[in-house]
Amino acid sequence: MKISTRGRYGLRLLVDIAEHAEDDPIALSVVAKRQKLSEKYLQQVALLLARGGFLNSVKGSGGGYLLKEKPDQIMIYDVLDLLEGSITFEEESDGENAIEEVLRLHFYRPLDEQVKRAFAGLTLADVTHAAWFTYMI
Amino acid sequence: MQTLVYLATCKENCSIRKISEATGISSGYLEQLMIPLRRAGLVEADRGVFGGYRLGRTGITCQDVLIASEGVFRPAPCKECQKNGLCKTHQIWSLLQTAVSDFSKEVLIEDLAAHLVDRGTGGGI
Repeated sequence: MKISTRGRYGLRLLVDIAEHAEDDPIALSVVAKRQKLSEKYLQQVALLLARGGFLNSVKGSGGGYLLKEKPDQIMIYDVLDLLEGSITFEEESDGENAIEEVLRLHFYRPLDEQVKRAFAGLTLADVTHAAWFTYMI
Repeated sequence: MQTLVYLATCKENCSIRKISEATGISSGYLEQLMIPLRRAGLVEADRGVFGGYRLGRTGITCQDVLIASEGVFRPAPCKECQKNGLCKTHQIWSLLQTAVSDFSKEVLIEDLAAHLVDRGTGGGI
């Protein structure tokens, strides 16, 4: 499993908005400059995040994006799950042989559960909060 | 991974052909896969009539195999972020990386092989 550009940019977008949002929506051009990311690409990611219920889009001049919920209500696992389609290692394929099945059931599936447990309760607020970082190290 | 699990179920040296039949991986590709696994000491090989591959040692973990064949798991490249240490999302990838490596170093190839043997689909034990 590799996290795609979409997953990485999407999280940076959310972190940036969480850190800089007051009451006014934030324009993607501002985020693009601050994060040194392509604005075109951010537009696509922002659209996906809005559809997924993490961002609100505000049209018009002075428009942009706002978090739909408070950062401590936004679960990182859910964001990644949306951006990546899913963040799991387990894959079931047609014509799976016995060894593949053993690996899937006894390694990849419990591995996915472990990852889910590791992310349990982790919110956008934790990520923007410096304390969590020092705790991690 | 498949190769190692299968080898762990074999009593004797196992030919590439036999491993290929069990895993469905082509012989040519298996030969390539074996190179880093041998280098890491996870498999050993004998030439000759009774030649073939076997596990290099006991106690091999899934992490050993993954590192030998794919390198250290890095969910995101994050070059620029690591350089300046400003990117907060980097912590998320560290968390993911740690979760995966902590789990995969606890799972033994032998234990996975035991599941295969239970089903009667191993390579001889």
